[in-house]
Order: sequence, then structure tokens, then C-alpha cells
Amino acid sequence: MALFGELFLSEIIKKPVFDPKGEVIGRVKDVIVVKGDPLPEISAVIIHRKGKPNIIKWDAINIFNKRIISSFQYADSLQSYEYPEEDLLAVRDILDKQIVDANGAKVVRVNDIKLEGYNGSAVLIAVDVGMRGILRRLGAEHSSDEVLKFFKTQLSYNLISWNYIQPLRPELKSIALTVPRQMLSDLHPADIADLISQVSREEGAHLFKDLDIETAAEALSELMPERQAEIISSIDTEQAADIIEEMQPDEAADVLSDLPTEKAKEILEHIDREEAEDIEELLSHEEDTAGGLMTNVFIAYPPQITVSEAIDRFKKDAEEIESVYYIYAVDEQEKLVGVASLRDIIMADPQSTLADVMETKLKSVTPETDDMVVAEIISKYNLVALPVVDADDVMLGIVSVDDVIDIILPPSAKRGRRKV
Amino acid sequence: MSRWKNFLLFLTVMGPGIITANIDNDASGITTYSVAGARFGYELLWTLIPTTIALVVIQEMVGRMGVVTGKGLADLIRENYGVKAAFFMMLGLFIANFGNTVADFAGWAASMEILGMSKYIMVPLGALAIWMLVAKGSYRFVENVLLFACLIFIGYIISGFMARPDWASVAKSTFVPRLQWNTEYIYLSIGIIGTTITPWMQFYLQSSIAEKGIKKEDYKASRLDVIIGCSITDIISFFIIVTCATTLFPNGIKVNEASEAALALKPFAGDYASLLFAISLANASILGAIIVPLASAYYICEAMGWEAGINKTFREAPQFIGIYTMMIAAGALVVLIPGAPLVFLMVLSAVVNGLMLPFVLIFVIMLINNAKIMGEYVNSRGYNAISWATIVTVVVLTVLFVFSTIFPVT
Repeated sequence: MALFGELFLSEIIKKPVFDPKGEVIGRVKDVIVVKGDPLPEISAVIIHRKGKPNIIKWDAINIFNKRIISSFQYADSLQSYEYPEEDLLAVRDILDKQIVDANGAKVVRVNDIKLEGYNGSAVLIAVDVGMRGILRRLGAEHSSDEVLKFFKTQLSYNLISWNYIQPLRPELKSIALTVPRQMLSDLHPADIADLISQVSREEGAHLFKDLDIETAAEALSELMPERQAEIISSIDTEQAADIIEEMQPDEAADVLSDLPTEKAKEILEHIDREEAEDIEELLSHEEDTAGGLMTNVFIAYPPQITVSEAIDRFKKDAEEIESVYYIYAVDEQEKLVGVASLRDIIMADPQSTLADVMETKLKSVTPETDDMVVAEIISKYNLVALPVVDADDVMLGIVSVDDVIDIILPPSAKRGRRKV
Repeated sequence: MSRWKNFLLFLTVMGPGIITANIDNDASGITTYSVAGARFGYELLWTLIPTTIALVVIQEMVGRMGVVTGKGLADLIRENYGVKAAFFMMLGLFIANFGNTVADFAGWAASMEILGMSKYIMVPLGALAIWMLVAKGSYRFVENVLLFACLIFIGYIISGFMARPDWASVAKSTFVPRLQWNTEYIYLSIGIIGTTITPWMQFYLQSSIAEKGIKKEDYKASRLDVIIGCSITDIISFFIIVTCATTLFPNGIKVNEASEAALALKPFAGDYASLLFAISLANASILGAIIVPLASAYYICEAMGWEAGINKTFREAPQFIGIYTMMIAAGALVVLIPGAPLVFLMVLSAVVNGLMLPFVLIFVIMLINNAKIMGEYVNSRGYNAISWATIVTVVVLTVLFVFSTIFPVT
């Protein structure tokens, strides 16, 4: 029967608590929050009496509103409280902490918490992340309203409903970083990477651990190298190997190259042989060369096969590859002899051979070529991907345009959290 | 681990400590050292040693918090002491840093005048360049500019040598303290500590270490970075004092401004020394004018939970861009308006800085001893005794410094 209507947590902090005779038995310091159905609810109020913490169970609370808080208990029957780590305390653990606002894919702070009476208990219905919350805590909400009224405007409420908030750790112990997991996986991996890069290392690692393998792999490739190394080092090798395996070989190589050698080796041992070999080969190249940028996953067929055969084989081979733009033609020695875009292939007569439709005057680079030169060639000839060949023209891999764009215009998550 | 590997590790971790330390020698710091050297010769050199020790003790704790928590000081204060503490801290930081920005633009204007360029052209140009650097620039570029700018500080060391000091008496004054019981002497020695240990650089250092993502295992290398940075700061201060003490003091020339010192150097130390002094002042000023507004905008937004980032538009991060733009625009404008309350703003800034420092330092020592935050990295008992002693001393001196600023002797 305790709470009716709604109130903000900041309105009850430091309020006196009365016993049935109207004597003050202490002042509100914090409230314990437990899982409830459907929303978390207050299970006890922590009061400080002469500087000593005491606990009053919710059942012993008589009146609980923004003007009066009273208890059935008297001062002599109070139970002392030790602030155990495992309790979730609204002020200690939620207020002022950062949470992820999945709606705008940004990090905000909890300025206040809104409570509402529901079947006799006080439930947490929303967190206030707006200016109003700050002003209320500074005791200036009403005066600001008056001032703004004069200018004929008003401050809007900026609340995030608790429905959208989920504790990061299942035991509800800490919610330093909260985000509805469902919504998190709905975000684009690049946005998730942005979020991870905005919070502290530990919180970022926690956030990352909750992602499914596929999303994790994509988000990881969007992060800056040091951050990638940190996250991969913080999770166990099995999981790391699964994520690395899911990534494109060139991106996987980028991540592994920033890890300590032993750790990288260990991860490679857990990865499928064939895939691991691809990655190892890429690891042997310098980072800022065509070799360091390229991926060794590409589609190449002998020039004498027909277009319809090429399409059939392509449908099978391309399943595993993220994006394909060209089919390359290589001879028996794996030497690059030509290239056909998917458009050329689709428009061509199905009975003609690959050799008929392919372009033979093609641009290629060696693995040692500087990355800026690669960028210039791709830009000058308007290519989507550029083949990398060795001294004997044997095809080694391709550098695609998105690898090049990342050098010229790194995504924000790759540029780091803070710009000072 | 081999020695070579250790050195490589240090190179990757180094940066925040050294950059922070260099920015610490901003226009107002250089002014204090110039005045101290011109007025008392080598007599005040010894104060640099205790100042360096205090600086190392404090910055080491702040750096350690950055490494262990991965969060900025503003974050930690907000999360552990609530919105009120954070709000008033940020308000103070904003006022003090606005004063610092004004001082930096004033230093820039004065050094440009010495170099023969009109301040009415160079100040707006400088402000615009700084604003563009962040609004349109990339972080890589900013970082490179900062590291290069740190090199220019060597100019002070060179002009120190060009002044041909009497090294024997320099050494004696540095290691043998000699107190003088006159008010100006005491005020200036307190002033040296007051301009060296400032609140905002604690915020800056911790954030840039957290930002760099230095791991706990690499903490020793990071500590070395902080210690080297603190030493460099005071080595530069040392040479500024030596330069002015060798040339201006024997001739009885008193100066009130760093730019006056640069001009006064000409007849005694030669054109080049004077020019170097002026260029170094211009560099220190513009460096401060880049970092101070940017850093302030970041801490304030972080503590308040507002969107921040230099790659954001005004619509996305109105408070961040607003604070940053306002500090630069107003800071530059105040310098250009004839009769603007320049001195008042700088005194205000020094006073607010002085009033905030005790709180910042007490937050620091409370946070660093909080095992919930720092785990095994809390202060040891011995180190705690040293830290408390340092903090109490610095706080007492700072209170005196605030007094001396409000009630000047001259």
C-alpha cells in the first residue's frame, strides 16, 4: 500500500523517515532494487541514522511519497546494513552511471530514476537522461521552469523507459552499462562498434561478450586496432577463434597482427586448417602494403569454361564470400589472364566462354605496393577491386574498394573514443 | 623482458604525460617564471625541486587511475560523488579555463606584436585556425601538431644557454634553498607552485591516458612517461627563470609579462634569444588555446552525459560544439576589445583554479584509495602518507596563492 502515483528518486534522497509516533528515525540514503514482474521494484530502503546505515524492508514502510516517508518500525528495532557488493542499490549502482541509449546509438548518463506505485510496490519505470534530471538534482528544476516560461519555451522530459533497459550482467549486480540486448543486436555492427569505442574498456568487453558470433565478427572489424587486441585478449580462446573464423581473412589477419605472437598462434590453432592457412599467408605481408590490405578469398576460373558453367560454379563458391564484384580468369599455372565483372557475365551469351567476355588489359599490383598507390589506382581506373599478383603474375588476392576507403576515411569507431 | 623490449613498450605508451606536462607551461606559467627570474635572479630556482616532486606524486596517482579504470576524472567524480559535485566542479573548470584561454590568446597577441604582426589580424586568424582544426580536422593531425609543438619548447633551453649564465651559482641556488622573508618573494614562490599544479591538467592527463587505452600491465611504462613529463615541465621552467635571471635581474629590469621579458632580453642576450623567447611564447599560447577549450568541452559533456566528439555536428552535440566555440570566440574577442577586463579575468581564473585544486586533490586521493574502483592498485600506506603530506602542503600554499592574487602586495 506504500506508494501511489509517481516520483523521482532524487526527490526522496535525504528525506527524513518517521516512526509511527512521528519521530525521525533517519534519512533516506539509498534503495535496494530487486527483479520484479514486469519491472524491477524496491525491496528495502536504506536509511542513515547518526551516520550508521540501517535497512527497512519494504513491508515495514507505511507511507512513501515525495512529502512523507514513514515506517512501522521504531528506532530501537532497526537492523544495521553493511552495503554488500551483491545488492543492487539505485543510488550506488545506477544513478550517475553511463548507459547506452540504443535509440540514438549513443552513451548517456542516468540523471535520475522515476518510480511508480504498482500493486503496492514501488517499481522503477524509467531513467531520466535529460537536462531536467540534472536540474532537479541541483534543486533548480522549478526555478528553471519559471525562467523558461518567461521565454515561452519549456524543457522537455527525456526519459528512457525501463522496458528498454536490461542489466548487462545477468545477476543484476551491476548495470553500469545497460542496453536491451534485443535492441543491441538490431543495431548495425558499425554502430555497435561506435558504442564500444565510447565506453570504458571493461564495459566495452562486457558489451561485446553479449553479441552473437556473426555480429561480434562484424563489429570487431570496425574497431580500432588496440581495442580489437584488448577485446580478443579478454575473451577465452575458443570464443575468440570462433569470432576470428567468422571474419573475412584479411580482417582476421589485421586483428591477429596486433596480438602478442603466442596468443595469435593459440587462436590460429583453434581455427579450421584451411582458413588458418589463408590468414597466416596474409599475416606475412607488411601492414601498409597491398599484401597487408588484400584478402585471399576471390573467385577465379579457367578462361575456357562457358559463361553458364561459370555462373553455376559461382553460385556455389560465392556463398561463403561477403562481397564479390569480379570473376577472374587464371590459367593452369594460376597466372592471372583476365577479368569479367558480374555484369559482363550476366549480360553475355551463356554459351560463350569466359575468354570471350573477359577484359585482358587489366591493372594489377604486387604485394609490396604501397597502400596509397593502391588507392590511387583504384580511384583512377574506377575499380571495385584490384588483383594482387606475384612477380610471375600468379594471382594472390584482391584489394577491394572498401579496404581502401578505410585507410582514407577511417570509420569513427576506428579513430578512437576521444579526440583530445 | 629484455631492455630493448622495455624501451619499445615505453615508446608506445609514452605521450599523455609528456604532452600534458608541456601544455602546463602555458602563457601564465611562462609569465610567472619570467617575473620570478627578473625580480629575484637565481634565488627562486630551488622551489622547482619540491614543485617537481609534488607534481610527480599527484600526477602519478591521476595517471594510475586512468590506467586502472579506463575512465576520466570527470567520469569518476560524477559516478562516485553525484551530480552536484560534478556540476560545481565543471562550472569552476569552465570559468578557470575560460580565463586560461583568454591568457593564451593574450600571450599569442603579445608575441605576434613582438614578431611584427598586428594582433587584430593574427588573433582572429589564430582563433579561426584552432576552430577549424577541430571542426574540420582529423585527430591524427591534431596529435602530430601537438607533438611537434612540444619540440618548440626546446627554444627556451637554447635561449637559456645563449644568456650565458654563471652555472656555478645556478647550481648552488637550485640545490641550496635560501629563504627571503619578504612578501613578494613568498608570493612568487607560491605562484610557481600555483601555476605548475593546476586542476584541469589532472583531468587532461587522466582522460588522455584512459583514451590511449593503456593496460594495467603496461602501467610501469606509463608511470615513467608521467615522471619524464613532469621533469621536462620543470626543466623548461628552470631555463626560463635562468634566462631572465641572467640577463634582466643584474640590470634591475622588472617585467610583468612574458612578452615584456622577450623584448627586454634583446639588448642583453641578443636578437636570436629574444626571438626564440617570443616564438616559444607564441607556441605555448596557441597550444594552450587549442587544448584548453577542447578539453573543457569534453570533461563538461562527459560529466553531464552530453554527446561529445569532434566529428559530431552542432545538431548532434550542441553543448559540446557550443562550449568549444564559445570559449574560443569569446576568448579571442576579449583580447581584441580595448579596455576589456583582461586582468580581472585572469585573476578570476587563478582564484577559481586555486579554490578548485583542494577539492580536486581530495577527490583524487579518496578515489585512489577506494578499493572498489582501484582494486589492488590503491595507494600503499607509505605512499599514502607521502600523498597526504603533498596534498596538504599544496592546498595550504594554494590558499595562500589565492589570497595573494586577491590582495596583491605591489
